[in-house]
Amino acid sequence: MLNAIRQLGTGARVATSVTTSSLPLLIIGGLLYAAFFVKAEPEIGTLKARPLERRDAFYGVVAPGGSILWAAGSYGKIVRSDDGGKSWEVQASPVVAHLQSIAAWDARRAVAVGNRGLAVVTDDGGKTWKEVKLPRSEVANKLLQVRAYPDGVAWAVGEVGAVLKTTDFGTTWTRVLDEKDQAWNDIFFVGQNGWLVGEFGQIQRTTDGGQSWSPVSSPVKNSLMSVHFRDARHGVAVGLAGTVLVSADGGASWQEAPPLTREHLNCVIWDGAQWVAVGDKGMRVQAGAEANDWKAGRISDKDLSWRTQVVRTADDFVLAGANLAVLHKDELRILGRDE
Amino acid sequence: MKNATFKALARLIDLVLQHRVPVVSAVIGFTCVMAYLAAQIEVKTVFSDLLPRNHPYVEVNNQFKQTFGGSNMVSIMLEVEQGDVFNPTVLKKVQQVTQALQKVEGVDTYQIASLASKKMKEVRASTEGIESRPLMWPGLPKDAGEIATLREAVLNNPLVYGPYVSIDMRATLITADFIDGSVDYLKAYKQIGEIADQARGDGVLVRVVGEPILYGLVNHYLGETLQIFMVTVGALVLLLLLITRTWHGTLLPLITGLVSAIWALGAAKLMGFHLDPLVIVVAFLITAQAISNSVQLVSRFDDEVAGGATSAAAAARASLLNLFKPGMLAIVADAGCVLVVALTPIPMLEKISYIGTVWILSIMLSAMLLTPMLLSWCGVKKRYAHPINVHPILDKVLGLCAAVVTSRLRYGVLAGAAVLFAVSGIYAFKLKVGDANPGSPILWPDSTYNKDASAINEKFQGSDRMFVVVSGKKEGALKEPSVLEGMERFQKYMEAQPEVGGSISLADILPAVKRVVREGNARYQELGGNADENGELVYMFVSGADPGDMDRFADPQAKNGAVTLFFRDHQGETIRTAIARVKEYVANNKLDEAEFLLAGGLVGVLAAVNEVILAGQIEAIALALLVLVVCCMITYRSTVAGMFFMVPVLLSNTLTFSYMAWQGIGMNINTLPVVALGIGLGVDYSFYIVDGIREELHHHQDVGRAILKSISTSGKGVLITALTLVTSVVLWSFSSLRLQADMGVLIAIWLFISAASALFLMPAMAYVFRPEFIVGSRRRPIEQAVDIEPLRIG
Repeated sequence: MLNAIRQLGTGARVATSVTTSSLPLLIIGGLLYAAFFVKAEPEIGTLKARPLERRDAFYGVVAPGGSILWAAGSYGKIVRSDDGGKSWEVQASPVVAHLQSIAAWDARRAVAVGNRGLAVVTDDGGKTWKEVKLPRSEVANKLLQVRAYPDGVAWAVGEVGAVLKTTDFGTTWTRVLDEKDQAWNDIFFVGQNGWLVGEFGQIQRTTDGGQSWSPVSSPVKNSLMSVHFRDARHGVAVGLAGTVLVSADGGASWQEAPPLTREHLNCVIWDGAQWVAVGDKGMRVQAGAEANDWKAGRISDKDLSWRTQVVRTADDFVLAGANLAVLHKDELRILGRDE
Repeated sequence: MKNATFKALARLIDLVLQHRVPVVSAVIGFTCVMAYLAAQIEVKTVFSDLLPRNHPYVEVNNQFKQTFGGSNMVSIMLEVEQGDVFNPTVLKKVQQVTQALQKVEGVDTYQIASLASKKMKEVRASTEGIESRPLMWPGLPKDAGEIATLREAVLNNPLVYGPYVSIDMRATLITADFIDGSVDYLKAYKQIGEIADQARGDGVLVRVVGEPILYGLVNHYLGETLQIFMVTVGALVLLLLLITRTWHGTLLPLITGLVSAIWALGAAKLMGFHLDPLVIVVAFLITAQAISNSVQLVSRFDDEVAGGATSAAAAARASLLNLFKPGMLAIVADAGCVLVVALTPIPMLEKISYIGTVWILSIMLSAMLLTPMLLSWCGVKKRYAHPINVHPILDKVLGLCAAVVTSRLRYGVLAGAAVLFAVSGIYAFKLKVGDANPGSPILWPDSTYNKDASAINEKFQGSDRMFVVVSGKKEGALKEPSVLEGMERFQKYMEAQPEVGGSISLADILPAVKRVVREGNARYQELGGNADENGELVYMFVSGADPGDMDRFADPQAKNGAVTLFFRDHQGETIRTAIARVKEYVANNKLDEAEFLLAGGLVGVLAAVNEVILAGQIEAIALALLVLVVCCMITYRSTVAGMFFMVPVLLSNTLTFSYMAWQGIGMNINTLPVVALGIGLGVDYSFYIVDGIREELHHHQDVGRAILKSISTSGKGVLITALTLVTSVVLWSFSSLRLQADMGVLIAIWLFISAASALFLMPAMAYVFRPEFIVGSRRRPIEQAVDIEPLRIG
């Protein structure tokens, strides 16, 4: 073959010899270049963060009807599901502090409150959330619970005796009670009757829609975390160290139920058929309408997460806390985890 | 060779041959000294030797490994078959294992963690204030009530429940860290094995993983490795004896291999190096080179004798004279190729490279000097050791080569090689850097260790750790809410990667403490609102604690802290993705008061290794080619020669990479030594063949005839070596260590490609292209040989 090239003449011969002489150096140079300057960039498989991540804590969840679920939690995260919890969408939140509670008037209007006395509201189903101004204390401002009632009314409670009210879907807020060195953990209304529970077993009640509040003597010193009434007369309050208080006279007097657990209970609801309270380490206590037949147990043996809220939807319970979970016919499913 | 050089060389050889007795005695004496030294060489693994020097990750690891946990972590999992771990039997075993671990040599007694260790604490609020006390230290729970209390305490503690007790409560973990440098892997492996054996039974399964165990296992199999080595050598002897049918044809190559090995190991001892058991396969690789050089000489000797040499000395002289150039070229080029590996910034590779270079250079003396001298004592009469004659078969194979090369099929050979090169070159890009599979690639997938590893990674967050240092710009920076929140956001970001089982940092501790302070109210499981509050939380956490308990998370000045990430595996892809994500996060989320430093722990240093080795390997290949080209250019005074001999080297490398990609053998710290040292090995045999052609052309000008002649003489040696070595190297596949089996196959592939390109490709190329440095040209014709004077020995 080289003979064939040779016959082509001097030019071709020189070209061949130059090529064959320089080729090795070119190859070596190329490899060296690759070694020193070409960095194998790993393809980061597009790892999209899931809507519900392992580290997310959701302190509050609300079910405003239909299949809609709305939850708020750590670092200002707000998520919404329109299909009963199958899929979730993270909503743009203007705050990064923890949100402790969320309440909704309907599928479009909602309010969430949280640390540093902040509150965010939406009137478009969560497409946009706006931060709103609240009366602030000089001492501490963490808000722990918010509840929404008809006609744009909502009540928020929290540290330093904060009891705040709005009547315009969360746009403006006013302080209802004076500051004091004790936190209110929950507030609940049935019509004009309302109840406040808080630290050191404190309870107050109103019968005029919250214009005036009066203290009620409490049988316990433990902090009460949650209160719920199934009508104007029958109510239950739960709190730390498994405390359960029952009232049958509109909250004028309270009786302590025999203790069943030492775990904290953080939320109690009347689900239409029974009282259900949830708390730390996957604990749940339940009782019938008369609230005299309490029994305690874990929701699931495999789950020991703490829970701060339970809501009833058409078929299921939805639980918020260390994670979001759906309880369907006593079958617990943690959301956002691999099946 | 030019006549003048030829004559000078002949005179030198004569001189040596005339004084063969003193020379051989000197060689024997020297070998004895070296053997004494070689016998003392230490065989051990030093993990820090595997880590790239001056790499930022490794520096971070070295700076912080004492406090944040290094790469020598051992995890022992106790798993119950029924019920949960909260029963007296299991808890007692946990305590026993924990106590026994403190007596293991090289263990960092402050870094043993389990339910029964003092550092595993419960922080609780009581009427007297905050109290933190060990969960299960010093005594075990005495009755069912105390066990229930322990269980509650564990479930309450996110630092224990999850990391040290599995979520399903059926398994508990005991971890121990070893002090770098003072850990003897074999002892650690044996002692921990005993501890694990004692804990086994009563319905408790015990599983153990960790790098010290892994390398201990490798050392444990050292005996088997040596056995396989011996069996391989035995097989080699048998095959040589079968094929050559003569004792000198069997023993001389063996002596060459042995002498070289002794010298190299002795030299290694003198240089203060130790031998890593994982690279013993490399020893075989180089021994193969020594043996092939010697076989060439012996085979040539036999040809000279058959061709009517008057005496053994004359035949020995003639064979050395003719093979001196290709032999020296092969040795020097090989040594150069191995030496450039030292530029890869990994201490172990550097050491292996130096040992390998000395080893290969020693072949100059052991093969090029010793073999001919010993041959000169052999008789010229043919005495066969056995009646089986395989030479007709060899001749048929060589005849086939010759037929292929000289017929039109030669174009087919070239085209085939080109296609093979292109295909394997593209496929080679699939080669994975780092471990290609979960579990350790050193061991077989169904080995106990790998099964244990996957069981532990299933139950827990992951046994492989990486720490990222959060380095504050001033003391107390870690108490700043912005820094802590940044750490937590970073953890959240990293945990989105499925292989990251979890992570832990100070930002996880403080919320748990704050919750305790606030009556256990979950709504207060959050960081303090300002630096002072966080400082109080830190104080509460460490109050009553031992000094050092906080070290896992932050230093006492709260300046440097660690985010520890737990990985379920350490595949190359996992690590690369994690590192890329860390970098991405850090670039997009700068903290004002602190910076993130990559990366320590096993996964951190493996990331460093993986970042270095691919570039290092490509660089080594480039430099090896450069060495080769320079050697060829000097020898043949032709740049074309460089190009010519690059072909088999490139081919053998692309094919090896393709094989590794195909078989899922990752390019990692364990395979690298073999891969790197093998770079230049594809070319040896080709030197003999091509030089054979060229030397033959000193006697006539018929290229075709010269090729046939070269194939039938040099080719025979090539065929014999390739056959014996490839066959015996297959024995490595019986090793208990998968790595050695894999490396055995790699070596077989190299030898095979080397032989195939020498027998088919190079002659075909020579015939088709007729390069000037082989066949000469009109301007520079090849000098015709003149007869040299016959040898006289007194």
